[in-house]
Amino acid sequence: MKRMHLVLATAIALLSANGLALAQEKGGVIDVATVGEPPTLDPMASTADLVGIITQNIFETLYTFDANWNTTPLLAAALPDISSDGMTYTIPLRQGIKFHDGETMTSADVVASLERWEKVATRGKQTAEVISGIEAKDDNTVVITLKKPYAPLLPLLSLNNAAAIIIPAKNAGQDPLTDFIGTGPYKLEERVADQYIRLTRFDDYQSLPGEPNGYGGARKQYLDEIRFVPVPDPNTRVEGAVAGQFAYADSLPVESYSKIEGGKDKPVVLKPFGWPVFVMNTKEGLNSNLKIRQAIQAALAPNDMLLAAFGSEDFFAANADYYPEGYIWHTDAGTEPYKPDGDTEAAKKLLADAGYDGSPLRILTSRQYEFHYKMAQVAQAYLEAAGFKVEMIVVDWATLTQQRTDPAKWDIYITHSPFLPEPSLTGIMNDSSPGWWVSDAKHKALDAFNAESDPQKRAKLFEDVQKVIYAEVPAIKIGDFNALAAQAPNLEGVTPAPWPYFWNAYLTK
Amino acid sequence: MLRSIANRILGMLVVMALVLTIVFIIVRLTPGDPAAIMLGPDATAADVAELRHRLGLDAPVPQQFLTYIIGVLHGDLGQSIFLNQPVGQALLQRAEPTFFLTVFSLVIAVVIALPVGVLSAYYRDTAFDQAMTTIAMFAASIPSFWLGLVLMQIFAVQLGWFDTSGYGGPGASFAERMQHLVLPAVALGLISSALITRFTRASMLDVLNDDYVRTARSKGMDEWRVVVRHALKNALIPILTVIGLTAALLISGAIVTETVFGLPGVGSLIVSAVLRRDYPVIQGALLVVAGLYVLVNFIIDMAYLAIDPRVRY
Repeated sequence: MKRMHLVLATAIALLSANGLALAQEKGGVIDVATVGEPPTLDPMASTADLVGIITQNIFETLYTFDANWNTTPLLAAALPDISSDGMTYTIPLRQGIKFHDGETMTSADVVASLERWEKVATRGKQTAEVISGIEAKDDNTVVITLKKPYAPLLPLLSLNNAAAIIIPAKNAGQDPLTDFIGTGPYKLEERVADQYIRLTRFDDYQSLPGEPNGYGGARKQYLDEIRFVPVPDPNTRVEGAVAGQFAYADSLPVESYSKIEGGKDKPVVLKPFGWPVFVMNTKEGLNSNLKIRQAIQAALAPNDMLLAAFGSEDFFAANADYYPEGYIWHTDAGTEPYKPDGDTEAAKKLLADAGYDGSPLRILTSRQYEFHYKMAQVAQAYLEAAGFKVEMIVVDWATLTQQRTDPAKWDIYITHSPFLPEPSLTGIMNDSSPGWWVSDAKHKALDAFNAESDPQKRAKLFEDVQKVIYAEVPAIKIGDFNALAAQAPNLEGVTPAPWPYFWNAYLTK
Repeated sequence: MLRSIANRILGMLVVMALVLTIVFIIVRLTPGDPAAIMLGPDATAADVAELRHRLGLDAPVPQQFLTYIIGVLHGDLGQSIFLNQPVGQALLQRAEPTFFLTVFSLVIAVVIALPVGVLSAYYRDTAFDQAMTTIAMFAASIPSFWLGLVLMQIFAVQLGWFDTSGYGGPGASFAERMQHLVLPAVALGLISSALITRFTRASMLDVLNDDYVRTARSKGMDEWRVVVRHALKNALIPILTVIGLTAALLISGAIVTETVFGLPGVGSLIVSAVLRRDYPVIQGALLVVAGLYVLVNFIIDMAYLAIDPRVRY
């Protein structure tokens, strides 16, 4: 019964998002309860999801993602003209686009913004290594030249965190950013830290024609105002949703589904949202030994871990594939080592082969995300059954983000991620990301994947990437999990998404 | 008299210097990194190091301490890493909800505790006394966040009389903002009243059997006049102490309640600053809270001098 309700709620949300509901009228103010105060409102300067969720209404990028996670133009007039050697991207710009200060966007703004992105943004700095030049061909065309073919460029120019946003050239020298002038459908009206961030409709906004399509397509701007209200306590967000205080409440504990169902706001489930992962320290200590990592993979029982973490099969799936069905990257290649219920005997054998000396396996985790901790507890039991001695290091999230950068302090750390539209953006793909996975097999598979620009061929090449991940175990994907939010019955036009957006949302009577 | 006051002020300055030093050291010893939090989960170690350098967090700790001390002596508590504003300004912006929450909680606590404590002492060992003592024990043991959530569930969710959280949003009037303090003030006030009730009862019991009370009664004075004018007046010193301490505790004790009710006060500022390691805010806020605590104690001490001529420092 509960499952039926869940499916129904999702279906209703999706239907309304597809624009089948009528009576979209301009007007209205919504309060959106978020998980807290964002660390910054400069989406170049942070990879935090919260920053992206809020600022994607203010700033825009050259490209974005459609409903099928394909790259689609936003401030660019079309997909780039890519030279036959894959080294030159010629990007036509939309004309007459206004910034919130009334100025018109030109190629000079785009060049200055992308150069700032190369200097300020984590993803921009990484991309700068393959970019040899960014130039304005004319007022409405920008040319990016590369040192080598690099297919992730377009997804990188499309993401909303550490984002390649376009801002006026005169502001591109600001670091930190102090003038929050973008081209987005809503402009920053007022920020009162820890109380609200108030966005108002930008009347000179020029929407793409047609209908909305994921983050792409038309942006309708029905609402007068969007207010992001930080409500850090998850219980308070739930109570606020039940009382109908918020038009939308983000990131709610999945165990509150039934409670929300009985309240004024209604539950919205994003299925699946993301994947919890155990990252292995391949650089130092126990997990520098491949056999040990394979033993851990064999010992873990994702079904039990996910059940402990999410309480009901309505909210998770024990899925080995790095992308679930529906994504172009979906494949089950190489996933044989993933055992939903674990294989203790195989783990014992691998451990014996590895010559395990009984040193404690240190799992670094946090209770900031309770499901991380619950998974760690179940993992501990299974690992001990396989013969590991396990030491849990439970710290707050700020400590974890610091300690994971020191390879001497942990063997496994637990985190999670939404399904990123571009696989090469996943943490383990970066050699310097905590875990420090470096191997010839990785580079061979990943270089071929990154150099290919044809999406279908890339999908095939991703099979090789996933096979290497399962062969070398730099991380263990535990499964897929769903995200829960709540939405007022009179709020329509919000598509369930990893980074919910509100430019197509409207209120009904 | 003046010398006593000067001594107390000197003591206060020493305490503040100790607080400043200890907080600075503890904050630096705590693992975690504001740069990593600001840059987000996918930031590289090189990015984090670069931001640490820009924020001056990679400077030697003694140098950071010296810079901080000089700033404080000039009335500058530093610049918040995340809020992009001076710490003093951030604290001032959040002073209103914390101040009024403390005042309302204290008023609720005293209005409940004084009559209940006096009556409990007067009707000592009766059913009334035992019931009140039990309720006070129960109330003292309730966590404020739990009572807050219960009140929220009943009065905000079920009855819809109040918002569950926040401080009224853009353009909220003073009355609307104060309305958001009702539930948290009741939660804090009820719990604080338990301690004051017990102290009032104990203090009243001490004086109700004193000779001067018996004398007053033997003179045929009205019973409640004896209780209020003679007994309560003399029992007030320890009660005043506990009320003062409760006020000081409420300033910092509102941390959890402010977080539960999403109030943008000093308490929730401290919590968010600790979670994201906003060092200047943690240091500045704790220094101010400690300063208020010391100041309240000082006022209580001075009040003793005024109330009881026998007191000398």
